[in-house]
Amino acid sequence: MSAEDFLVLENVKTFFPITKGLILKRKIGEVRAVDGVSLRLRKGEIIGLVGESGCGKTTLSRTIMQLQRATGGRIFLEGRELTALADEAVRKQRINFQMIFQDPYASLNPRMTVSDTLGEAIRTRRRLTGKTLLAAVAELMETVGLSPSLMRKYPHEFSGGQRQRIAIARALAPQPKLILADEPVSALDVSIQSQILNLLTRLAKEMELTMIFISHDLSVVKYISDRIAVMYLGRLVELGPAEAVMADPQHPYTRALISAIPVPDPKVERSRKRIVLEGDPPSPMFLVSDPPRSEAALEEVAPGHFVADPESFLNERKAHAAVVA
Amino acid sequence: MPLLQVDDLTTYFHTRNGTVRAVEGVSFHVHRGETLGIVGESGSGKSVTCYSMLGLIPMPPGRIERGRALFDGKTDLLGCTPKELQRIRGKRISMIFQDPMTSLNPYLKVSTQIMEPLQLHEKVTKKEGLRRAIAALEEVGITEASRRVHFYPHEFSGGMRQRVMIAMAMITQPDLLIADEPTTALDVTVQAQILELIRMRQAANKSAVILITHDLGVVAGMCDRINVMYAGRLVETGTAEDIFERARHPYTIALKRSIPSLGQKGKPLYTIPGLPPDLSKPIPGDAFALRKGIRSGGKYANVAPPLEQVSETHWVRASDCELPSLEEVLNEC
Repeated sequence: MSAEDFLVLENVKTFFPITKGLILKRKIGEVRAVDGVSLRLRKGEIIGLVGESGCGKTTLSRTIMQLQRATGGRIFLEGRELTALADEAVRKQRINFQMIFQDPYASLNPRMTVSDTLGEAIRTRRRLTGKTLLAAVAELMETVGLSPSLMRKYPHEFSGGQRQRIAIARALAPQPKLILADEPVSALDVSIQSQILNLLTRLAKEMELTMIFISHDLSVVKYISDRIAVMYLGRLVELGPAEAVMADPQHPYTRALISAIPVPDPKVERSRKRIVLEGDPPSPMFLVSDPPRSEAALEEVAPGHFVADPESFLNERKAHAAVVA
Repeated sequence: MPLLQVDDLTTYFHTRNGTVRAVEGVSFHVHRGETLGIVGESGSGKSVTCYSMLGLIPMPPGRIERGRALFDGKTDLLGCTPKELQRIRGKRISMIFQDPMTSLNPYLKVSTQIMEPLQLHEKVTKKEGLRRAIAALEEVGITEASRRVHFYPHEFSGGMRQRVMIAMAMITQPDLLIADEPTTALDVTVQAQILELIRMRQAANKSAVILITHDLGVVAGMCDRINVMYAGRLVETGTAEDIFERARHPYTIALKRSIPSLGQKGKPLYTIPGLPPDLSKPIPGDAFALRKGIRSGGKYANVAPPLEQVSETHWVRASDCELPSLEEVLNEC
């Protein structure tokens, strides 16, 4: 196994069946939340996963963590095939994955002090007790820029930014192999957003973290990621180095996404032309009666820069618009 | 004469844990056809400012301590009785809220909800109301409006629901539209559509718009003038160019320097050290000087800093605060 193949996804699919009838459930179609995603992650790499609500970002991350078993395809972590493991073995694997969620107000237990929360997370990997455990908690708090003197406090005594630091510390505690950050800064004010982004960038460098950073905000993703993967309707439509994707987007969907980001400069904003996509993103619901979807495929346009066929995207978008109208 | 002239608006909340000074002496104006942006961190008083004018503050604990909000040159909104305000709200001043799922009633059909302002304010018949509701939905780009007007809110997507909210807010052709974080809960692509729609409806109705947001990117494109608020006070006001190109107040400058999209990859982002002050304690002087990590000369430690005029359009609250350098900020974190 080479370092390039830290995490490998091979044509991963996650479908949810749609059934009709109470007793004799007939399958009339499926929601193709993830429909053929292939991806290779290097150790220590941060990949930004962008796309609109409902494009399958979250289902993909749940599938990688095996919280949702894949319908098809294979997932390898350090050469080990996760998709082939039995349920009990999968459960033991979960410690390798940690998540950071969007809302630090909802993702911390309000009845546990910081030291309880972090202590519990540390003990999943290391059997520490008493003073050694507290020392580990203190060390962890310092890593994320919190004073250890605050460890007896409850989440409500902290500000939003500090809470997100606690959530990050909790994710680091079990020494995970992969961190999935699901919109970790979207709920925060600009000034706090930049603090958390700085912290994540610093930690990633110091601890060689491998991270999937999910966001719908391309400007944040551009700042933090090494590579960007753009997801649309369960598939990757563009994948490449962050600078290349932002500066020279190849797929029409990526271009539309980039053009939708508001620029904090009134002169630029007033003069630039927007590509406004008509309508809502199409539904990932496919009925048995629908024509089969073509296979997901990416073409390499420049070294490391992959793009899906724009034709099929435009056709699907058009077909969907026709259904609505 | 401006459409809305607010002078010295001050709103306090008298809670068990002390008096929270949410809005402290805020003055501004909005002209017809103009878009005013109000930006600031959470808790800076941007929403309370607008809610105070419309009588939407829970009283008690809230109380409008002083001030005047002259609407259309004759009505002082702060002196209106609840009955008088009811006649203005939804008719001459409308609001759009952040989350279209919680601000639409899930038990009522969209048709009932869109027709409500018409039935209340214009006493139209049901038939006429429905006709105008369908027309309003078409104006906000909802196809098949005559069928979809009978849908329930959950049958629409997030972006569509926000369109319904806009249709509802604009159906009485209000003079002033207040949009409180109208796109924060939406995807960027849908955000672009909704902002464009607000702009179009505004132009069609010649309404004034107050846009409350924490996203500096959104105000840059949408607003003619911008108010920056900090700790319940106005710290800077000016045209979009004044704020983005010639910002004077250290808080505005720090806010702009923290935007990730302007940051360079691999270089740490600037952040504002410390936290906004506790508003339950009186702040006699410069609120920004109280922030941990901000150096100040102490000139405004106990005296309220005055709002100084820089140019015809640009006003800045005096401050002798000095922003720490990027290195200092990073050591702090």
